[in-house]
Amino acid sequence: MVTDSDHLRNQRVVFYSDDIEQIDVVLAEFLELSGCKCNLLIDKEGHMVTSGGDTNSIDEQTVAALVAGSYAATREMAKLLGEDEFSVLFHQGKRDSIQLSMVGNRTIMATVFDDQTTVGMVRLYARAACEKLDAIFEEIRNRPQKKASLDAEFGSSAKGALDFFFTE
Amino acid sequence: MVQINFALKEVNCKIVYYGPGLSGKTTNLEVVHQKAPDTSVGDLTSIATEGDRTLFFDFLPLNLGQVAGMKTKFQIYTVPGQVYYNSTRKLVLQGADGVVFVADSKRGKMNENIESLKNLEENLKEHGLDIANTPIILQYNKRDLPDVYSVEEMEEALNAWDAPHFEAVARDGKGVFPTLKRLAGMVLESLNENHAPRRSPSVVAPKVSADSSGGSTTATAVATSRTGTMRTQRTASVTGSVARTRASVSTQAPTVRTTSSGARPVLVTSPRRRKRRSSMVVGIVLTSIVAATVLLHLAGIIRILP
Repeated sequence: MVTDSDHLRNQRVVFYSDDIEQIDVVLAEFLELSGCKCNLLIDKEGHMVTSGGDTNSIDEQTVAALVAGSYAATREMAKLLGEDEFSVLFHQGKRDSIQLSMVGNRTIMATVFDDQTTVGMVRLYARAACEKLDAIFEEIRNRPQKKASLDAEFGSSAKGALDFFFTE
Repeated sequence: MVQINFALKEVNCKIVYYGPGLSGKTTNLEVVHQKAPDTSVGDLTSIATEGDRTLFFDFLPLNLGQVAGMKTKFQIYTVPGQVYYNSTRKLVLQGADGVVFVADSKRGKMNENIESLKNLEENLKEHGLDIANTPIILQYNKRDLPDVYSVEEMEEALNAWDAPHFEAVARDGKGVFPTLKRLAGMVLESLNENHAPRRSPSVVAPKVSADSSGGSTTATAVATSRTGTMRTQRTASVTGSVARTRASVSTQAPTVRTTSSGARPVLVTSPRRRKRRSSMVVGIVLTSIVAATVLLHLAGIIRILP
């Protein structure tokens, strides 16, 4: 019988260096072709997967949480309209704009760009990049899952970190 | 769900504060934002109504520091407590690794607490989770009010599965850290059980009861739900408005380990340094063996080549 903790465990997301290297190559190519400022790859829960380009002026974690929230809300709207989901979202600003593209069914690519490029260029290359990323995620999903192994001292180290952090 | 990113050497966990409207969820987050070291928390972001009621969620990124070579981060969310925001509550709950249920201890609020808890159970079920198997803490808030339910009454009405509970006066910061510490411990314990070799000891933080001392408090903001506005709070303070500069999440926190119960942890060498040291030892041993063999050969005791 599959327990709920099994369910949770099975759903845990693990990214290895090799995966991220492959993903980073696709993102770098996309940034170069489209002329965008930066790119964030975010999972549906709002956790950052990886990023590319100039992200110095961005609070990545907060943007990731808001992107995931925005996407989740829009998906619900789509369902109310009888759609599965809206695969592309676009927020236009005076200076910077952001496009959110769904990659597979659990990752979102957030692309920040300014007037150095156009929406059309971004949309064109984003579609190609999303297809490549989807293929990578598909490969990750289909290969035999090896168990992610944390350091043997994770437990004691975590307890120490909690005691240290939460000292009032 | 926990994200383990070996490329960034990061572990990301999601914690959600749940509970009825005006029970003190956002106040909990404000206290964490205020009390945690500046280098370990980011901005507290709220998507709220103009009346300061949570519309979608509040969000606070918190960096625990290096845990066995992995940057361990918590993304902490609150949900809107008001009944009619259930669809947004459900969205925020998606992928949660642990839940703090903030219950209002004030007499007359029990039905709202029970209704919210049932709603949590239903929403977790929609995400394929059983409340009994999900890391969850009950926080009985507003213990300083004059007319509150006893802890026994709260336990009987709300805690059917014997989850850990804490008393709190979130407005004064009491009980906030112990609650979060215990839940963070439970989440990391679950991670440790599933992803670390067996010899690693338990993570769960010791059970600490928050005391509920006196002092008066009033309920938080009055509800006026109009057009939603989004704000990023740079001056999050419960009692005043102490400005805090934006703290980008640091990755420089030291690796720590407890020495004994109750003692502050001490710095230890990093896994990478230990690995380098063991490589040096192996190198010295091998060199010694080769040198000894050559000497024995020169002395005529053994012959290396025929």
